[in-house]
Amino acid sequence: MLDAMRQQWLHGFLDLCLLCLLGERRDYGLGLAQRLAESGFGEIPGGTLYPSLLRLEKQGLVQADWVSSAVGPRRKYYRLTAEGRVAADERVAVWREFRQAMDRIADRADLAEVETA
Amino acid sequence: MTGDEWHGSFIRILLDQGVDPIEAQRISEDSRAEAIAARRHPAQLFGPAAAYATAVARAARPAPLNAPLARAKGPVVLRLTGVTKRYRRREVLRGVDLTLHAGEVAAVTGANGAGKSTLLDICAGTIKATSGVVERTARIGYAPQQHGVAPYLTAEEHFRLFGAVHRMGARKAVATGAHLAAGLGWRPRAGVVASQLSGGTQQKLNVVLGELSRPDLILLDEPYQGFDQDSYLDLWAQVYAWRDAGAGVLVVTHLLHDLDKVDHLLELQGAEDR
Amino acid sequence: MLLAIAGTSLRELTRRRSALLLVIALPLAFYSARSDEPGQAVRFLALGVGWAVATLALFSHVGSRHLDRRLAVVGASPTALLLGRQLALLGTGFTIAGAYLVLVAVAQDVERLWAVALLLGTTVLVAAPLGAVVSLALPRELEGALALLAIMATQMIADPEGALAKALPLWSTRELTTYAIESTGDEFLHRGLLHFAAAFALCACGAWAAAVVRLRPSVPPEPAPA
Repeated sequence: MLDAMRQQWLHGFLDLCLLCLLGERRDYGLGLAQRLAESGFGEIPGGTLYPSLLRLEKQGLVQADWVSSAVGPRRKYYRLTAEGRVAADERVAVWREFRQAMDRIADRADLAEVETA
Repeated sequence: MTGDEWHGSFIRILLDQGVDPIEAQRISEDSRAEAIAARRHPAQLFGPAAAYATAVARAARPAPLNAPLARAKGPVVLRLTGVTKRYRRREVLRGVDLTLHAGEVAAVTGANGAGKSTLLDICAGTIKATSGVVERTARIGYAPQQHGVAPYLTAEEHFRLFGAVHRMGARKAVATGAHLAAGLGWRPRAGVVASQLSGGTQQKLNVVLGELSRPDLILLDEPYQGFDQDSYLDLWAQVYAWRDAGAGVLVVTHLLHDLDKVDHLLELQGAEDR
Repeated sequence: MLLAIAGTSLRELTRRRSALLLVIALPLAFYSARSDEPGQAVRFLALGVGWAVATLALFSHVGSRHLDRRLAVVGASPTALLLGRQLALLGTGFTIAGAYLVLVAVAQDVERLWAVALLLGTTVLVAAPLGAVVSLALPRELEGALALLAIMATQMIADPEGALAKALPLWSTRELTTYAIESTGDEFLHRGLLHFAAAFALCACGAWAAAVVRLRPSVPPEPAPA
């Protein structure tokens, strides 16, 4: 039940996460999945990740290029476009506001617990 | 399922969901290369082909709602003034008022038997109101709830027939129909008659026929039988796309979805016995 | 628009395989039952063709009722809708009739073959709008088919000299058959053609009036600017 909730939330925030990670540096699909896992989001299934990347590409926020490598296989690398950078900044700002509001509400619940205890 | 089989069924489903063939080919090659680079079976990396294809097809579709147009209210396309409908002693509609401009969506809600479909039919002109005034633009699209398609005709023949009625020319009608179908995540196949389509796909055909002529006013009895959640969201995306393109939309709705985005909400109270 | 409606209607007809096969087989069955006697064989064949075409017309119009109403709402003229479907039915009917005319020409020794062609033609011309009239009065296939059964069976059984037979739509077929087979005088031809003209006019006008009443949407006035 709690897992399902996390899953649902992540679904809503995945685009923003990807924009932020790509804002840091360009990356390929599996690399992004690893970085999301390292950040504490758990394993993101490819069936969720790649459609998100495709959607961002379609919206012109992300540009994708196939890059050959001397050592490994050919990989598709994603990077933010100028538009993507603007969108990332805007959405992060909205997220911060949202998080503050959420924190204020959650803190009240904490306080109430202390009072009733 | 081998990797090749997975990829084969993936591209087939992409095409069925209305993804442009060149685009589908590109996406399919990308997925193949991703799976090779990851050294994993595609089913392991992406999940079942059908589910992945559906998700990708939705993502690949041109999203009409990304940048809502600055919309200006157009002329009045539908005005109902005190519309009442009585069948013998049973009053189905009482004093319905509505002014709908081009570029607006009006949702009609109410319990079963509240007269939603009756109101739509009065707007279409197949039923006469007992009293009240109906004013309506002439260029309308109309998608009734039931029996809107001919069971023995293919999608393309439907497009030709409706195109002929709208004086569009056969080729343009077929091209427009295919394009609109893609927007609802469906690619009509040649030689398949309507009775062989699933209930949800028949409804998509029904909706496409309603918008084929790019009318000024679309009267839509929202399909729900056989419609899955994704199709349902696609339909509403389409409703707002019509609105943003400047059409007035009157939609009878059964589920309360996103009604905060509509411009008018008409809640019908239902029948009264006198 | 008329041609598009006729064309799609014809396609729909040819796709109703089982109905079409039954409809083609019906006159043959009637004919075979009386093939020993040319007069009766041709008469039953023609009534069979009439019955078949009327039934096909019934199915076609009942099946397209809702679609036609939808098309009318977005601007199709009820006259074009009726006429288009009738053209497709007449085409199918004349094809069936033509095939049976060949059968008669080969298998029977008929005095006036052209008159057989004529009576098959008049039968089809009456039957197609007859089916449409029945479909507009009885909007379901089963009830309509039963009504046609009643009309056709009465036509076959009723005393041809009686008023009842003359009041039924295909009495002309019998008169023309007598003229074609029995080398009678021209009065049979004239009576037959007169009855045909009346029956055809009545069925066609009835079907047209009913189509207009049923299909024509009320067109509200353009809204006055706000």
